[in-house]
Amino acid sequence: MTLTAELVDLLGTARVLDHPLRRHVYGKDGGVTRGDVELVCLPDTTSEVVEIVRIARRHGLPVIPRGAGTGLAGGAVPLGPAVMIVLTRMDRIEDVDVESKTAWVGPGVINLELSQHTHRHGLHYAPDPSSQSTCTVGGNVATNAGGLHCLAEGTTVAHVLAVEMVTADGEVVTLGGEAPDPIGLDLRAVAVGSEGTLGVVTRVLVRLTENAPASQTLLLAFDDIENAAATVSAIISEGIVPGALEMMDRVTVEAVENYVHAGFPTEAAAVLLAEIVGTSAGVAAEANRVASIARANGAIDVEIASSPAQAALWWKGRKSAFGAVAQAAPDYYLHDTVVPRTKLVEVLRAVYAIGRKYDLLMMNVFHAGDGNLHPLMAYDSAQPGVLDRVHAAAEEIVRASIAAGGALSGEHGIGIEKRDLMGLTFGPVDLDAQARLREAFDPEQVFNPGKVLPEGSRCFDYGRPPVGAEA
Amino acid sequence: MNLVGQLAPYETEVAGAPNAEFTVAPPSVEDAARILDLACERGLRVLTWGGGTHQGYGYGVDPDVVLSTHRLDRLIDWSPDDLVAVVEAGVKVSTLEERLAEKGQSAILSEIPGGATVGGSIAAGISGWRRLRYGPIRDRILEATVATGDGRVIRAGGRVVKNATGYDIPRLMTGSLGSLGVIGSVALKLWPVALHAATVTVEDPTLALATAYRPIAVLETNSASAVYLSGTDEALDEQIASLDGTRADGHLWPDPLDHNTVLVMRVPSRHTAAAVTQVEDSWDFCAAHGVGEIRIGSNTASSDDANRLRQWAEAHNGALVVERLADDLRSGFDPWGTPPATAGLQRRVKDAFDPVGVCNPGKLPGGV
Amino acid sequence: MGWVTPEAPKPEELSACIQCGLCLPVCPTFRLTGDEVASPRGRLTAMSAVADGIAEVDDTFHEIMSFCLQCRACEPACPSLVPFGRAMEGARAEIAAQLPSAKTSLRQSLLGRRGLGSGGAVRGITRLAALGQLAEADRWLPGRLKKPIAGLRRLGLRSTSVIGQTHRPKGTPVATVGLLAGCVMDSWFPEVHKATIATLVAAGYAVSVPESQSCCGALAAHDGAVDEAKALAGTALQAFRDVDLVVSDAAGCGAHLKELGHWASGGRDFSSKVRDVTELVAESISVGRLPRLAERGVSVAIQDPCHLRHAQRIVAEPRDLLRAGGYTVLEIDPNGMCCGAAGLYSVLRPETSSELGDRKAAQVMATGARIVASANPGCEMQLRSSLGSGFRVAHPVELYAEAVGLV
Repeated sequence: MTLTAELVDLLGTARVLDHPLRRHVYGKDGGVTRGDVELVCLPDTTSEVVEIVRIARRHGLPVIPRGAGTGLAGGAVPLGPAVMIVLTRMDRIEDVDVESKTAWVGPGVINLELSQHTHRHGLHYAPDPSSQSTCTVGGNVATNAGGLHCLAEGTTVAHVLAVEMVTADGEVVTLGGEAPDPIGLDLRAVAVGSEGTLGVVTRVLVRLTENAPASQTLLLAFDDIENAAATVSAIISEGIVPGALEMMDRVTVEAVENYVHAGFPTEAAAVLLAEIVGTSAGVAAEANRVASIARANGAIDVEIASSPAQAALWWKGRKSAFGAVAQAAPDYYLHDTVVPRTKLVEVLRAVYAIGRKYDLLMMNVFHAGDGNLHPLMAYDSAQPGVLDRVHAAAEEIVRASIAAGGALSGEHGIGIEKRDLMGLTFGPVDLDAQARLREAFDPEQVFNPGKVLPEGSRCFDYGRPPVGAEA
Repeated sequence: MNLVGQLAPYETEVAGAPNAEFTVAPPSVEDAARILDLACERGLRVLTWGGGTHQGYGYGVDPDVVLSTHRLDRLIDWSPDDLVAVVEAGVKVSTLEERLAEKGQSAILSEIPGGATVGGSIAAGISGWRRLRYGPIRDRILEATVATGDGRVIRAGGRVVKNATGYDIPRLMTGSLGSLGVIGSVALKLWPVALHAATVTVEDPTLALATAYRPIAVLETNSASAVYLSGTDEALDEQIASLDGTRADGHLWPDPLDHNTVLVMRVPSRHTAAAVTQVEDSWDFCAAHGVGEIRIGSNTASSDDANRLRQWAEAHNGALVVERLADDLRSGFDPWGTPPATAGLQRRVKDAFDPVGVCNPGKLPGGV
Repeated sequence: MGWVTPEAPKPEELSACIQCGLCLPVCPTFRLTGDEVASPRGRLTAMSAVADGIAEVDDTFHEIMSFCLQCRACEPACPSLVPFGRAMEGARAEIAAQLPSAKTSLRQSLLGRRGLGSGGAVRGITRLAALGQLAEADRWLPGRLKKPIAGLRRLGLRSTSVIGQTHRPKGTPVATVGLLAGCVMDSWFPEVHKATIATLVAAGYAVSVPESQSCCGALAAHDGAVDEAKALAGTALQAFRDVDLVVSDAAGCGAHLKELGHWASGGRDFSSKVRDVTELVAESISVGRLPRLAERGVSVAIQDPCHLRHAQRIVAEPRDLLRAGGYTVLEIDPNGMCCGAAGLYSVLRPETSSELGDRKAAQVMATGARIVASANPGCEMQLRSSLGSGFRVAHPVELYAEAVGLV
């Protein structure tokens, strides 16, 4: 039987897409790369996923898992003929355990809707990427997604207790568990952030977080970025870990203000938004301390939100930043690197210089508390040669971040986008170890081949063969 | 050169370590890799030794080589403004925490008792009492440099607090009990020490857990239950007012269990109170509510007692592991219990780092 | 072959999409299927494929486009302000132009070539439907037509048209308002027109219902029937040239009239004087020209018609005027997901429509309210047939007018 016929037998015609136009729609995620999809499947159950994996393997085709397609690193874009497994239909929230603060959820559950669903129990799902209203928990697991509140709460890996995964053999395994520290190696940690290269995650046990009884938002404006960065460091070293601590530069503030009218001071060189969470008296006390720290570090304007509505508007402004930019130019490239907090200013200056060098509108809005930079280049792809400039600038930004002791990606992942830059942070031996780890799960590269690790990472010159491999 | 000659520069003595043909202490992670490479060549079993405080986990290893990390004792880098410290594995937890406290910071390891090392705490996956608020230890390891079982030095992760670059090998090392290699150094995420701390003695730990907003810990022992809080004065006053209890300043941690047998029950946190009812009156225990970890100490428990506890834990989706075991419990009681269904995959992962099988072979569940 | 009509999706409409995917969760068809192809982003990608010469306007393209409810929930969710509804009308115009098979649409076969363009035709259908109700036609009609019949209000056999009427307030009018009678509204929802006229007159407006008006052309435009939509737009411009404001009490018609610039020269000026009736009434209440009652414990679940909430971005006004009528307003859906009526979609795609209708009905039932307010005739019918007996579905202005004793 043909591949299509076998899959249609399994799923019916509506959940197997083989028309070229329908497949074309799946050729891209939220990033900039497009690929060709051989066939798209929309399973409803874990056992359907198992069968799809088996059928794909029988036909010698690799498997690409996909969530909502909001990834920015090309993680769900196939590099060659492949069967795509779209997990959006597996969106059940089962077993919310209020007492243990956990829930088993399908990979297709939308991040924000999980928090909305558990709100009545006073709980939420803490990782909150900017795409949280649309991205899926499964996609979050793949990229180890972060978000505004990772400063205090950690990224996805800290909120996933277990995953159910379909392996290359078509087996269903559960990595991790409900109880703390399940015995044996922590394979769950390896699965989180593996960008769909180890298997297809079909269920996720998430940890839920208590909603804070009170919160307060401060808007701190500075006439230079250095003072803003110094304030970030001072807040944290004073023992305050805000729920979120976000910085926007002047260009971003102007764009956002035109779009949302959030009341941001457009004359400022940098605006910090700080969210303090906790009990009400604690929040009030910490908010006052943050305000005085900001003043001591040269803030030109310190405002504490007068109402929840004002705080919500400020945060809406922050979250709309990328959309606001979209109105400045039809296309944008959103970058993601991490640097030590103390190197923020130095790297920001380098980023602006790179923008000037390549004649690109460079905006910065980022998770200042984590040192997680998101330089954003706005451009018009109709302009000839502009994409080359964008890619060259992107690579230089990565180099500048690495030179400052940073990392390639804080939350978007490696995918295709940064795969060939992995050598900037890791040596051949490091990459070989990662390739071996992947091989332990998926020796034949059934899942998402060609992603994360650059070609040739698995080097057979290194290390020793397993016992019994040679006579 | 013969093996004795090659290992001679590393020869050392370690009190409390098992007798082995060689006892060595490499001064660097590269030297550790060299020793492991030799072990591969000769097919030697290597037991990695930190402070020796948590060697009781898992199946016993009869080593040819004991590799002590005590010469890996440098604080390589500490950037207080970044809240990141890079530290070698053999540094004692107490030494590190003393240094960090000079600038009001902590790696949240301080209540781990005795001479435990940073590397040993990570390898054993010891999260400490403050896990309820600060998360498990694996979430604080940003970067790891490891001499893998096949004699290579690899680095994974990075010295930044957020990272989505490649597979998470630092977390994989956490709790791996030395089965993949020897941890040389790690970058740790630090926390500023909160201004004020208090311990509130309460009647009902379950109620206190539901009442307090994200406390540091809620611990129940044979004698008392207490909620541990920290933050600004205002926040503490407010929280304490909502709890019906007696306040003491600072965090007063329970005494470590010094019994012949120390078992650790791990269950989904909702079962914590029920788990406590499984503990015999004559034993000592400390239960971490909200976490689901119940540490149990006894000088009289039999292997039947231990098996009964394990049965209960496994029936509740949990496990019972051994931190220390009296000699008379060694037969009739398995250190791990039912091995995980993923033992085959675990084996392949071990082989990826330690293909010859020299690092603590057979220590993990399923004899991995 | 690419595009062949001037109405085709424009390059700047398509390139405005930055593929962020924020439209996915608010799209009813995506939520039902989980399929990117059934999402706004996917549809724009498919349109771009035609624009780029990768795909053709063929049956598959037609299928992909016609699955869209045109609820426009994606528009407020879009950070990049893609005019999705406009692009979709363009795609439908291309389908009508390029696919002869699609030309004879169900809209036309069902209602006649100029069915909705002529009040007469609808009046004829109305009489048939009224007879059908008497004969309990929902028992024997084919499935496709069963549901719409079940959603109708009780119809009288006598005509109740308001066309040609004029009403003056006491004293000097605040402004002159022309009421769009619409096709189905005039015949099937006479009580809504009555309440609208009474309330606006009480608020000090002079209200006329010009004789020369016709259908607004919304259904033709959604369906890609370009010539028809243009002709109807011209008629509307003429009919309402002498009034200060044009008011509609059907969200779908109002939304179309507010975008008449696409369909007729001078349409933009015309659009600037179009108001939904809830806007005028809420404003009149806020300035004290209409009374405000104290809350009296009657709960009303509020349903947001897509063409009110998403296309016209009117959310607060219907709630304001219900509260002013003393009702307790209960929300049913924070995202305002489409009820599945979507113009003629309920007839064209009955299964998808029913699934969405059932979801909506479940949300209403969860509130415990027995009254539902909806400011659009299609939604009202869908809600009535999905909810079944025991519920009242009414226009918010009707409920307000009743509460303050105007009808």
